Amino acid sequence: MTAEHKKFLKKIRLRKGVTLTLRIGILALFFLIWELVAYFKIIDPFIISSPSRIVKIIGQLYNQHNLFPHIFATLYETVAGFLISTVLGTVIAIMLWWNRLMRDVAEPYLVTLNALPKIALGPIIIIWAGAGKNAIIAMAVLICIVITVISMLTGFESVDKEKIMLLRSMHATKGQIFRKLVFPANMPNLISVLKINVGLSWVGTIMGEYLVSREGIGYLIVYGSQVFQLDLVMASTVVLCVLAAVMYGTVALLEKIIKIRYSASK
Amino acid sequence: MILELKNVSFTYHSKDNETKAVDKMSFGVEEGTFVGLVGPSGCGKTTLLNLLAGITEPGEGEILLHGKKLSKTDDKIALMPQRDQLFEWRTIEKNVCLGPEIQKRKDKSFRLYAKKLLEKYGLGEFATKHPSELSGGMRQRAALIRTLVTDPDVLLLDEPFSALDFQTRLNVADDVYEIIKQEKKTALLVSHDISECISLCDKIVVLSARPATVVAEIEVTLDKSLTPLRRRECADFSQYFEKVWKLLEDKK
Repeated sequence: MTAEHKKFLKKIRLRKGVTLTLRIGILALFFLIWELVAYFKIIDPFIISSPSRIVKIIGQLYNQHNLFPHIFATLYETVAGFLISTVLGTVIAIMLWWNRLMRDVAEPYLVTLNALPKIALGPIIIIWAGAGKNAIIAMAVLICIVITVISMLTGFESVDKEKIMLLRSMHATKGQIFRKLVFPANMPNLISVLKINVGLSWVGTIMGEYLVSREGIGYLIVYGSQVFQLDLVMASTVVLCVLAAVMYGTVALLEKIIKIRYSASK
Repeated sequence: MILELKNVSFTYHSKDNETKAVDKMSFGVEEGTFVGLVGPSGCGKTTLLNLLAGITEPGEGEILLHGKKLSKTDDKIALMPQRDQLFEWRTIEKNVCLGPEIQKRKDKSFRLYAKKLLEKYGLGEFATKHPSELSGGMRQRAALIRTLVTDPDVLLLDEPFSALDFQTRLNVADDVYEIIKQEKKTALLVSHDISECISLCDKIVVLSARPATVVAEIEVTLDKSLTPLRRRECADFSQYFEKVWKLLEDKK
């Protein structure tokens, strides 16, 4: 290793360290200012709460055995909504790719559903699915599924025509073309759909919980705002941030695993 | 005659009109020869390839392979596409075995054959690598081996060098020619590049603009012991070039 290369590597490491320090630093600074502003009553802590109050309220929830039941309720709804919409959306996309007529028939419906603000369907879903977990999952599915179908279908249809011709010259069946070419070629597309769905399923779940809530993080937020207990609202929001980050991290990990399996093992 | 086209016509339909892409085309390919098809761009090349690969059937006329009508399930004609079209998510070994895999061959001897071909043509150590780790020329060689693994009688080459830079192109052309000759295969090359056709082929079939039909068949009698690259230096080379060029220009 030359001295110049060593210098280069050192520079990269330094840069990485600075990035990480800044990231953590900004968060710490944010909490510190928040705490001080509340402590010296520059802004009324009744309205903005404070980090120490948030910690206290999370502790309280935990001691009352109220923290994890709420977390699990929301997590269950989000993961269920995420999985159902991804799998169902992909299956629908496969069917539409398979049958040209079906695809042409479905197109205006997809476009309309995509443009529709799905929350408008909330009341209908509550009446049909009942005011409970099912309605919330249905809400999450509804928000994710249309974009899943559209993205997957677009991906399926943009596979290189020459590759399809190559397989057809080998007399591959439509099923083989899908299994050997179209689906594996769409792995990167599937991953980006998963990433979009992580965010959207959270939107659907929390929106659903706002509408029909008996438990869950969304319920805590709505309840907190109704009794004007901003500590609870802020604490729930912080918990939500952590949960969303963890779920995104899981998908990112999945992406790494798939990438190793499906492409160059560099 | 291993492959013969007899009065083949094909028309495709669109919303606004119908287009005759191929019109009463007839020519033959002798076993073990290298035949080139040259035509102006847009001469219905893709249609012709689809017909020869057995993807679509001719509207009129017939294509005969070994004197029998080409059927949609015939796997004796293998296509080598314009760009190598290796699947990035498969290793080279898995890529070259794609044909037999699609045909669901019960007999697994093709795996051994594929390995042998990879070894023979210098890709042995890359068998477990992914396409992105190979150079352009090596990828083209892998694509050629993929067409050879099904043990076809005729190779259909769709401008197989056009995606490469000029220098690589000349070397890969030599390379591909050498391998096809060694494996004693018959090859049909579709190209826009006149020099390439003259340097590689025993016979050149000149096509007209759409609807494509045969304008002339030219036997190329350059020294066959030379490599395609060396043939470009032959005295007659420019005469052949002139001849084909004129035919293409006249038919514009």
